[in-house]
Amino acid sequence: MTWKEKLAEKLPRTLADEIDVYETQLELRKLGKIDEKLFAETRLRRGAYGQRYDNGQRYDGVKTQRLQFPATTLTKGPDTMWDAPGMQRIKIPFGGLTPSQLETLADCAEEYSDSILHVTTRQDFQLHFVHIEDTPSLMRRLAASGITTREACGNSVRNVTACPLAGVCRTEAFDVTPYAKATAFFLLGHPDTQDFGRKFKVAFSGCEHEACGLVNMHDLGALAMTRDGKRGFRLYIGGGLGPVPYQAKVFADFVPEEELLPTAQAVSRVFARLGEKQNRARARIKFLVAKLGVEEFKRLVDEERKILPPDPRWTAFIPEAHGFKETALKSPSSLNGQAKPEGYKAWAETNVYQQLQPGYAVVTISLPIGDLTSSQARHLADFARKYCGENIRTTVEQNLVFRWVAEKDLPELYRELKTIGLGEFGAGTILDVVACPGTDTCKLGIASSRGLARELRKRLADQYFTMDAAVRGLRIKLSGCFNSCGQHHLADIGFYGNSRTLGNRKVPHFQVLLGGKWLDNAGSYGLAIGSVPSRNVPVVVERITKRFVKERRGDESFQDFIARIGKAESRKMLEDLMEVPAYEKDAAFYSDWGDPREFTMGDMGMGECAGEVVSRIDFDLQAAERLCFEAQLKLEAKDLAGADALAYKSMLQAAQGLVKELWYDVPNDSEVIVKEFRARLFEPKLFWDRFAGGKFAQDFFRRHENPPSRYDHDEVHRLIEESQLFIEAAHACADKLREQKAAQLSQVLK
Amino acid sequence: MDLYKIGIKLFVTNPQAVRLRDFIPVFHGWIQQQKIAGHQLIDVHDYSHVHNGPGILLVAHEGNFSMDQEGGRLGLFYYRKRPLEGGFEANLKSVTQTALQACTLLESEPKLDGLKFNTKEILVLTNDRLLAPNDAGARTKLEPVIARTLGKTALAPQSADPRERLAFMVTRS
Ligand code: SF4
Repeated sequence: MTWKEKLAEKLPRTLADEIDVYETQLELRKLGKIDEKLFAETRLRRGAYGQRYDNGQRYDGVKTQRLQFPATTLTKGPDTMWDAPGMQRIKIPFGGLTPSQLETLADCAEEYSDSILHVTTRQDFQLHFVHIEDTPSLMRRLAASGITTREACGNSVRNVTACPLAGVCRTEAFDVTPYAKATAFFLLGHPDTQDFGRKFKVAFSGCEHEACGLVNMHDLGALAMTRDGKRGFRLYIGGGLGPVPYQAKVFADFVPEEELLPTAQAVSRVFARLGEKQNRARARIKFLVAKLGVEEFKRLVDEERKILPPDPRWTAFIPEAHGFKETALKSPSSLNGQAKPEGYKAWAETNVYQQLQPGYAVVTISLPIGDLTSSQARHLADFARKYCGENIRTTVEQNLVFRWVAEKDLPELYRELKTIGLGEFGAGTILDVVACPGTDTCKLGIASSRGLARELRKRLADQYFTMDAAVRGLRIKLSGCFNSCGQHHLADIGFYGNSRTLGNRKVPHFQVLLGGKWLDNAGSYGLAIGSVPSRNVPVVVERITKRFVKERRGDESFQDFIARIGKAESRKMLEDLMEVPAYEKDAAFYSDWGDPREFTMGDMGMGECAGEVVSRIDFDLQAAERLCFEAQLKLEAKDLAGADALAYKSMLQAAQGLVKELWYDVPNDSEVIVKEFRARLFEPKLFWDRFAGGKFAQDFFRRHENPPSRYDHDEVHRLIEESQLFIEAAHACADKLREQKAAQLSQVLK
Repeated sequence: MDLYKIGIKLFVTNPQAVRLRDFIPVFHGWIQQQKIAGHQLIDVHDYSHVHNGPGILLVAHEGNFSMDQEGGRLGLFYYRKRPLEGGFEANLKSVTQTALQACTLLESEPKLDGLKFNTKEILVLTNDRLLAPNDAGARTKLEPVIARTLGKTALAPQSADPRERLAFMVTRS
């Protein structure tokens, strides 16, 4: 008996067929009858993702080991070993989950993964260490409980997210749940969404000023509004985080509900037709919108809308949406002064939200860095059946919520949560540190975001009750690299991983970003202050928060405080923490949190010139960083032209530093520098990111070739972000050059 | 295919003697030397932040090893993930041997300061709800094989909840 046979009657026909096709493709790939690239896109579109070390290599702290998998030549994608453990992403539209779905997820985590369910910042679940050959059964079991993994990865419409409070929120215009659901299933597998150059993320929010939906940072964001008693949405387009964050633009002030799906379809068509396909790094819709301008983009969408063949699904869901109502398990009730267990007060303060509907509350179950065990998940399913019925949701802050909990049940639910270790307080506070997978499992991770998050959570928990209330309310978010999966741009205090080379050793670092805004649907993004060694991050947090408490004026927000003291002062406050002690003095700086391996390339070794020698290129890159920082100061002072010039200059400085490594006498002439940089570093792919390709260099070339004739705040802000990334890439390139030199030297010495 | 997704947990007798995160460098050391025969050891994961979870996990292609805290009891839990050639009995033997080998290695780790496992009490768990659901049929079928293979004096089925995996606590003399 197989799962396919066992579940034959339970699977919806279309889902069963899709998974059968996928399984056949998997078999064909095993026989070598499908190209690896094609199979890679196929599995990605079914949510089966690669994981760290799946290229068959891992540095073990002493040497780089070749992992000996049984299938020695078979791959599941370019440079991706067949047998290497992978990650399965599971889409949960708007985060809505039932107890039985939670149980299925728990079973799959136990049997195919490591008994851990991980909630992501897109309300998905992820299971890690899954073998590719287990994925068809896993998908069938999920499908039998109404969950699809289709288009969870790949160049497709990703999980449609929505406020976890939708429908019970005190400030919403109306419940966006049925609209998010209709959009998710309308766009899923739609022919017009199959030819994107990159992923496409959609979000729904019920109101403007809370954070929950984060519509400003989405490719397509829908903000609920009513006009003359009619439901509709303000639509946002072209937002996104990633290496260079873009604030979305208002696409239309009010799109009536019946136009929501056709507009999304028309947007999809324009994106599929005109979006970049070759250069992945510029293929998100934000680049297309920036290139065309939002007015022209809208004109094209409107034209497309006019010629769309009518589809009954555009409006079929609307009567149901108006009648949509979740069923509460119990009658409303109040606490009525009943006895509360120890710890209840602190928990209720942060983890309980009074619903719009009197007598009911939403309970947030804080999951440490988004993780829960299969056993906890089954208990939660039991608790849900007892207290809130079908009304569970995941959140973008990597937690779960129970909605429609009768208030009188709160103390008992708290008691039960504590028995399974999920009665932690602190949801939505500084303790609720969000982190992407980082170097734990992500192929692109540079530094250990989860290791750092664990450390921060521990330290902050110890101090929580003595902290000022203003500090408790801050948010910390971490990403393992500049790709922003941990949404660091939106945090009061955000970090993303990078690395620096000292002597001939690498040191894990985190770039500090201050003053991002979670509220107002991701109202604004934080700007980079400087890079600090990972080991110093806890002290960075302590120092910043202490200063905030000490110098805060009245009710001043953290964003206002940072804006007032300015970036120069913020940097000054952290400058000593940017220093790295010598290896001999403190070797801990040279490894990452929770990982005893030295954070270095195994094949670099200790060269003849070891010691504390800082090479010329390091000085050049430091100078470039300074220029980039000064550009930020100019931007802050609203000197757009000055900021633009400095950002460009910082890239030029870094490029010159790199060229000097190959041609010491390169003149101070921008044309020559760019020409030489292109020929010596870009074209031979030395200045080349493994995943972003030549994007960072192309940003530099574009600015060099097209200096702005007028200055726009967003554009300049973006250039500064780009220059920051260019300098990061320059560090990586400098490492490559050093490795090359060392290899040449050892050849000579042989 | 016969049941191969089997898990074996051996409990630590002196959990107060170790800190969970002490296992991180030990497992990294095992990867450096590829210490477990027949296994491609890959990576180490820290789940110490999760209540009664997998603790510290050593990922291998063939199966995972963890210093597991499920049920609030620290132990070495090894569970097979990739197929084995034999029938259930041979597979159970093989998985048990691997788990015991890992325990012996841990006991001899100087960094773990006298860590001891109780080999008289073994949790046997089937990690496959298709081939071994937690019901009377599967229980009756597997019980004698487990008893024979592990040499029991007592064998207690664990949770009767059909959602849970079929598991037995085996006590040996
Ligand atoms: S931010 Fe970077 S490290 Fe983190 S999950 Fe995304 S790509 Fe991976």
